[in-house]
Amino acid sequence: MPRLSDSMEQGTIVRWIAKDREPVQRGDPLAEIETDKASVVYEADHGGVLERVASEGDTLPVGALIAHLLEEGEQAPSDAAPREHAPREPEPRDGREPPEPEPRDGRETPAVEAQEHEEQEQARGDGGARRRSSPLARRLASEAGIALSQIQGSGPGGRIVKADVQQAMQRAQEDEGGRVAPRPSPIKGEAETVQLTRTQELIARRMAEAKATIPEFTLQSEVDMEAAVAVRDQLKVIAQERATAAPSFNDLIVKACALALRRHPKANGTYRDGAFHLHSAVNIGIAVATAEALLVPVIRDADRLSIWEIASESRRLAGAVRDRSITPPQLSGGTFSVSNLGMYGVEAFTAVINPPQAAILAVGAVSQRAVVHDGELAARHGMTVTLSCDHRILYGADAAEFLGFIKDLLAQPLRLLV
Amino acid sequence: MPPLRNSSQIAPPSDALQLLAQYQRLVLIREFEQEAERQYKAARIGGYCHLSSGQEACTVGAVDAMAACDLLVTGYRCHGFALAKGTPAALVMAELFGRRDGCARGRGGSMHLLDVERGFLGGWGIVGGQLPIAAGLALGLVRQGSSSAVLCELGDGAVNTGAWHEALNLAALWHLPIVYLIINNEYGMGTKVERASSQPELYRRAAAFGMHGERVDGNDLLAVQSACERLLTRAREERSPAVLEALTYRFRGHSVADPGISYRSEEEIEEHLRRHDPILAFEQDLLSKGVEPQQLQAARESAARSVAEAVSFAERSPAPELSSLAEGVYASGSDVQFARMRLGSPFGEQELVFDAGLGR
Amino acid sequence: MSAAQLDREQAEANLTYREALRLALREEMARDQRVFLLGEEVGLFEGAYKVSAGLLAEFGPDRVRDTPISEAGFTGAGIGAAMLGQRPVVEIMTINFLLIAMDQVINHAAKIRAMFGGQVGCPLVIRTPNGAGNQLTAQHSQCFEGWFAGTPGLKVVAPASPADAKGLLKAAIRDEDPVLVVENLSIYKERGEVPLDPDFLVPIGRAAVAREGSDVSIVAHSFATVRALAVADRLADRRDISAEVVDLRSLRPLDVQTVADSVSKTNRAVCVEEGWPSYGVTAEIAARIQHACFDDLDAPVERVGIAEVPLPYAKNLELAAVPSEDRIEAAVLHTLGLS
Repeated sequence: MPRLSDSMEQGTIVRWIAKDREPVQRGDPLAEIETDKASVVYEADHGGVLERVASEGDTLPVGALIAHLLEEGEQAPSDAAPREHAPREPEPRDGREPPEPEPRDGRETPAVEAQEHEEQEQARGDGGARRRSSPLARRLASEAGIALSQIQGSGPGGRIVKADVQQAMQRAQEDEGGRVAPRPSPIKGEAETVQLTRTQELIARRMAEAKATIPEFTLQSEVDMEAAVAVRDQLKVIAQERATAAPSFNDLIVKACALALRRHPKANGTYRDGAFHLHSAVNIGIAVATAEALLVPVIRDADRLSIWEIASESRRLAGAVRDRSITPPQLSGGTFSVSNLGMYGVEAFTAVINPPQAAILAVGAVSQRAVVHDGELAARHGMTVTLSCDHRILYGADAAEFLGFIKDLLAQPLRLLV
Repeated sequence: MPPLRNSSQIAPPSDALQLLAQYQRLVLIREFEQEAERQYKAARIGGYCHLSSGQEACTVGAVDAMAACDLLVTGYRCHGFALAKGTPAALVMAELFGRRDGCARGRGGSMHLLDVERGFLGGWGIVGGQLPIAAGLALGLVRQGSSSAVLCELGDGAVNTGAWHEALNLAALWHLPIVYLIINNEYGMGTKVERASSQPELYRRAAAFGMHGERVDGNDLLAVQSACERLLTRAREERSPAVLEALTYRFRGHSVADPGISYRSEEEIEEHLRRHDPILAFEQDLLSKGVEPQQLQAARESAARSVAEAVSFAERSPAPELSSLAEGVYASGSDVQFARMRLGSPFGEQELVFDAGLGR
Repeated sequence: MSAAQLDREQAEANLTYREALRLALREEMARDQRVFLLGEEVGLFEGAYKVSAGLLAEFGPDRVRDTPISEAGFTGAGIGAAMLGQRPVVEIMTINFLLIAMDQVINHAAKIRAMFGGQVGCPLVIRTPNGAGNQLTAQHSQCFEGWFAGTPGLKVVAPASPADAKGLLKAAIRDEDPVLVVENLSIYKERGEVPLDPDFLVPIGRAAVAREGSDVSIVAHSFATVRALAVADRLADRRDISAEVVDLRSLRPLDVQTVADSVSKTNRAVCVEEGWPSYGVTAEIAARIQHACFDDLDAPVERVGIAEVPLPYAKNLELAAVPSEDRIEAAVLHTLGLS
């Protein structure tokens, strides 16, 4: 695989232009190769008969063998089976790695061979499957259920590194729609092994990290939503007049949280390395479910936005999540999160903190319930909210005051509008 | 040999009871060392084991010259000093046995006895290493505004170390309240003083530091006590350091493992045992002062009983718990500092050390 | 708490590393009568590297005690005084001369508490600078902190910034065990913000992430940290590589946790030291990393140290020998497969 740009580390053979086993002249186009920057036509460095090794669609590291250019009548090396990987360049100058063999003659298309490496590795008796790989790559591959033999290494001496495994995972997903061959599981029936998308992988890691490392506690509170229901009905009318979307309960909750976070900097902070990091901006993440993942786009400076601005921003972000146009910056920088399962009729639940945030608010459904109001039993709208807190930064009394303030704001929703 | 001060030149001793008490400790040390040798050979005492038989008089004499608040530091031949100081023989024997009740809790062994309560801050194992530390203890006393002094014992071998010169220079330069007591038993291991020191009259070396030095007959308990008292008083009152060289003889080898006859003749040893045994000399003195032979006999029996009880105590004392292996390596509270060092530790280190009281 | 008090506790000053050390000594001497200094030229001469300048005038000769050239003697004297509960701070002019007192440090100070069954302590501080780079040649250009850090019973810290210099020296003086505070010739003149709070301490046994990054972890201490930070800047500017710099700060106790957290995140590590790497600090760190982060490593742990020769005098040879920014950068690129 030729290096066709300064930053190119690997390339994909988009298509072969020259025909297999036919002669080419120096300068003839051989193949179209996609680099990290563009598709480039690769021309023959010298004449000969082309004997393809790599196939169209193959992605190979720079230096990998893609074809031989043979002299008339010359045979390709008998072991000219596709080499899946080869070092990019004669790597180590410090003698720590075994020296790479020089190309046997100057005419082999740019790759050098990794034959001797493979022989050495196979000689270790690993059924021929063993390749050089970093411990991390081995772990990732094993977690993803990908055999190392299916992966091409791009590291020194052909070592398989993290990036190679990630690429292989991505390819596997693209090739098979995210599925790999199911493995038999006699007791539980046939199990389908679904490979995680990167986002799912990230969620798995972050959530596990949160549960494993955060000393968490939760507070639960009933919020009187009677006034909020009334206000929202009025907002709907106004929205119709303005021909815009009406703020949802969730938007009201985001606004209430934003104001409360401004007053409680620890709830808007991060515990890290034995210190509190108190953020100056109030950026609230709102959990949005998609078919395959849960994303948390961020409403920036939520404390400075009006309820109408929050409503339009949250709709824009949720839309971007659903049509997959959401960008990484829109998903980062959150200082607090709100997760709402009220629309599914869930009464109450506990959410997992989204590290490195200090807390997350889990919001249940707004529903009518029997409550004692002004000394009498009455049917009023209420909502259960549950705050999960990282006790390393947000302590019980602080958290209670924070939650109480949110509750008060929602009970007197005009305070959210002015 | 230059003239020695001896007890006939100094004031007569106080009452016989006190002398008898000193005799009691002389024979306790002798008895203890003999038992230690037996126990070592029975493999119940390990490591090095340096006996002080023959040196009892200068040991007891020097210790008895100390005031209650003075501090004592010695080299590794230290069983006698602990016993002379009054550390119970049971705690010393338990230490030699490596048991939990040992005076160093089974961590020090023969060379590193100590008794903080009685002002004995250690037997130290590197020849000469204790000399600067003793100067530092004297400096510490001065800084505390204390009027006490330090008595630092060393062997004749230690005077040729660099630490000797550095420590004596500091002691003189800073006017530290300290007396360096050289127990010259004629041999540093197997090397006779004359083969090791260009100036074999070791007390004269003090002059190089403008310091007072003198020699005393180390087999004469009262002479050692008197000289030592005088120099310690001077150290306390005038902050004037001094060197006292006590001439004595070691009956046994350098350690239990050394028969002690390759570098000296059996005749020489025999001569000392017969004519220069400090305990026999002290007995004669006591008898001449009217002490009854039965009283001496009773003292010897009492010493033998104490040693037998010490062995029995040491046998009963449990070995230190494995879970205490790292106790005392660092001050209490250091465990917090070490908490983040556990990760990636050498194999077994977590259980052996971190979980065994490190910094607890 | 009064406003004035609050101001004072939050105030910082821009000080050199040398001044930060001096401030630490001064504050601790004022706070605790038991603290006193001893060493060659600490008094009248005001310290070979001027750390103790002005302290003789302020505290007098009993507390700022000039010594003869007797490293074993006055280190031992410090040990003895510490055994009685004094808080001696011994200055050894450079770490090269500490070898003369090696017996006192290793065979004595480190052993006292354990050997005597925990009944006597030794709250001694030894301050000494290490380092090469000033054409001081073979006998005066060495870094031996690894030897001491390998000795149970001792604690060893090696601050790389003025703030850490103040906080760690103060923590060392207040510690109940013998602590070797390794300073550095080249950092003495470096400036930084230093908290003026007289109770500002840096905990012993805690490393710091001196700079956050995501592609590779550079683990260093003392002057190597200063170099590593410069390399990280360069890599960010010129190569768009995000290097995290972990400053060990304490060598014993060693904060492996922070190193492992960093390497688990970046998957690659380059360990740097100013001393000889064989059997050195980086050897220890690399061993810990391979054990703690085995499944997170995407490349072998790389080490950079001073060339393993007695340091030559000629400037070009010395420059080639030290773990320069260029060499550290090359090692990082190699680790990332970019060389």
